[in-house]
Order: sequence, then C-alpha cells, then structure tokens
Amino acid sequence: MALWIQISAGSNEPIYMQIVSQISEAIAKGEISAGQKLPAMRKLAAELVINPNTVARAYSELEQAGLITTKTGSGTFVNDPKLRTIDAANINILAERMDSIVARGINLGINASDLAAMFRGRVDSFINKSQKREKENERDST
Amino acid sequence: MNEIVLETVGLTKYYGQRLAVDHLDLQIPRGCICGFIGRNGAGKTTAIKMMLGLLKPTAGSARLLGCDCQQLTPQIRQRIGYVTEGHRLIGWMSIAYLENFQKAFFPRLWDGKLFAEMMEYFGLSKKQKIKHLSNGQRAQVSLAITLAPNPELLIMDDPTLGLDAAIRRQFLEGMIQLIMRQGRTILFSSHILGDIERVADRIIVIDKGQLRANCSLEEFRKAVKKVKFSFADSIPENIDIDGLLHCRRQEKDCEMTLVRTSDEQIAQWAKKNNAERYHIVEMNLEDQFIEFTELTERKRLFKWEENQQ
Repeated sequence: MALWIQISAGSNEPIYMQIVSQISEAIAKGEISAGQKLPAMRKLAAELVINPNTVARAYSELEQAGLITTKTGSGTFVNDPKLRTIDAANINILAERMDSIVARGINLGINASDLAAMFRGRVDSFINKSQKREKENERDST
Repeated sequence: MNEIVLETVGLTKYYGQRLAVDHLDLQIPRGCICGFIGRNGAGKTTAIKMMLGLLKPTAGSARLLGCDCQQLTPQIRQRIGYVTEGHRLIGWMSIAYLENFQKAFFPRLWDGKLFAEMMEYFGLSKKQKIKHLSNGQRAQVSLAITLAPNPELLIMDDPTLGLDAAIRRQFLEGMIQLIMRQGRTILFSSHILGDIERVADRIIVIDKGQLRANCSLEEFRKAVKKVKFSFADSIPENIDIDGLLHCRRQEKDCEMTLVRTSDEQIAQWAKKNNAERYHIVEMNLEDQFIEFTELTERKRLFKWEENQQ
C-alpha cells in the first residue's frame, strides 16, 4: 500500500511534524500496517524535495513515540500496535487538542451531551474502518 | 563538532560612509544546507561576494575550505560552486560552447553525463544560444554548469529570484541531489521562506549588516514566539520578561515577540502580572522572520478611524 505524504511549506506546522502526523494517522487508520516497511529516508527526502535531515528527524520522533523501529541495514518498519507504549506527555498533548475541538463545538452551539455522543460516534466509525482495512490487508497477504 | 567549511571573522564592509556588513562572525559546518536570509539591503550579497574574494573587505576575513578568501587558489576554487543573482551568462555562446568553456576550469571534476542529463531534463538542446534563452532557461543552464563539477561547497545568491514555481522547484531538487553526496555543503540566500524551510537545515539571519541568528532551522522555529496578553486594568509599565524583542501595546492588550522564552516563563509572567488571559500565536517561518527583524514599534500602514463620520 502506498504512503502519501503531502508537504506544505510555509505552514505553521514544521515540516518534520507534518510527516510525523501524516505517518501516525496512516498507521492509526490502518493504511500502513504492522511490519510494513517505510520508504528509505533519502528516497523520501528526494521525492518530497526536502532536507534529508528533516526526514531523519521525523523518523526519530516516530521511533520515540514507539510507532516504528529502524533496523540497521534493513530499513524502517511499522511496529505491532500491541507492543506500543503509552506516553503521558503525548496524552497531555492529545488532551489539549481535544480541548480546542470542544471549544469549537461549544461555539457552534452544540450542547455537552450531543458533543460527547458525536465524539463517541466518530471514534466508533474510525475503529470500524481501520479494523475493516486490517482484515483486507490480512486477506491480501494470505 | 563537524568540520567548519566556511568561516568569517569580523567581516566588515563600508561603502563610503555606509556600513553594509558589520563584523560578521559566522561558522558553517560541513554537510548542511544553510539558508541565508535578510531583508533587501541587509548585506547578503556583499557578504557573499567578500566570502568568495570578489570584493575586498574593509576589515575582517573569511576562510573557505580552510583557505583565506583573498588567496583562493585555482585548486580551491574548483571545489566551490557559485551562482549569482540574475544568472548572467555570456550571450553569444551556445550551451555546448559554454560547457566546454566552463569545463576547462574544472579539470577531472566535470561530470559531462550529469550536465547532459540535466539539459535533457530541462528540455534544452546544447545547440541553443544563450542569448535566445528565456530567463528561466538561462537559470537552468546556470544551475547545470554549477552542479556539473560536483562542488564541495555551493554558494548561491538568490538563485531563484524572479523564477516561476516549477524552475524554483528544480533548483531545490538540485540542492537535495547534491547534499545527498557525501560531505557537500550549501549556502543559499532567498526571500522565499517556504523554499528555505523545505531544504535548509540551518539558517543565518542578518539585518542591517549584522548577524541576528545562526542556528538550526528547528531551533529558530522553536525560539521565536508571539504572545498576546490581555489585562483587566492596564498593561504593566515595565515589562520585564526574558527574551523580549518588542512589544506592541493597544489599550488593555499587548502583543510581544519573544526569543527563547519558554512556555513556563510565559505562564509565570502572566500570573505575576495578573494577565486576564494570554495565548501563544502560531506562526510560520515567514511570520517569525518578520517579527524577528522588526525591531521598532510597528507603524501601521493604514489607520482605521473607527469614529469617522
């Protein structure tokens, strides 16, 4: 399965973070699955026309977050989700992002219980989709 | 610490009474792409010309690949690529003639295959005369003749000035291809900060001839912050926050540009001074550059008179 990364130079988000969030999202959605190999850093840098160190920075961030592992000589691979560790600092960042969505919902005039139900619904549909994708991947590989 | 390939010590240039470059102390390590930024007239071109030995400094010195810039030998020059603003090439030459002419300065180093590949990639024929080329095509030829000798140190002075997005991207591609080779270093100036952000891993900022920053791009992105504070009564008279660059006051609000101030320091200051609320404004590199190089209180270009009848 192909990995699509779109870089936007001039964004508020630094380029290495754009790569980190897009790869994390692709992993969470099951677009790239456990054991799959990520593009080589130099190849990705040439493709995206960005500094190779920026890609290295993004990969090391993903590695620290426990999402990928680099094996010397053979490449970078997506980790098994069961082996991932949960980091308290990352949870805090996530909570802050949720706050900004809650604020937007309230500004739109949605009440608290509707907002919570909406969130639950999104989580369920996200999980359903990624599980479906995982099954498809398994079928493809067998 | 990496080996330093370009170094300036107290590099200074006066044009008559006017100070163009003011005691520039720089060190560029091997293996990086360094974006050189500054407003028009900040002294970038003057600095680059002095580094290359094309302009005599009023004071100070520069060393390239370990050699004093005023005594660069042909052997050292061969290892340095230089692209000027505007890509001035000799008009009567054909591309093939120009290639032969250039090649003579880079015995053994010239990669004819790379040059031919680039001409093909750009859709140019070697028979074409320079004077019949468009600005963009001339820039492409200039890029190819600079990259063909495989320079160890590449210095480009606003190489993409006035070029379209597609040709600008080719320059960036060229830089990325070069940096992938072992031990290459690039210094380039540009006003297109999106391009700088894409390919540079270090930046140098100069303003009015003076060095303002020389650090990794990531460090700069983290260091320059804009924060808006709102106060219930009035803004404190004396703003004593670490790293304050400038502050704009407007009634009960003030907007500060801070350098290397941590989020904790900001929170503490807000608490100590009874700020009603504050928020850190997200900025892109361009916003940061503008905030960073603007030292005086901003004069608004338009003043909106609210109570106008």
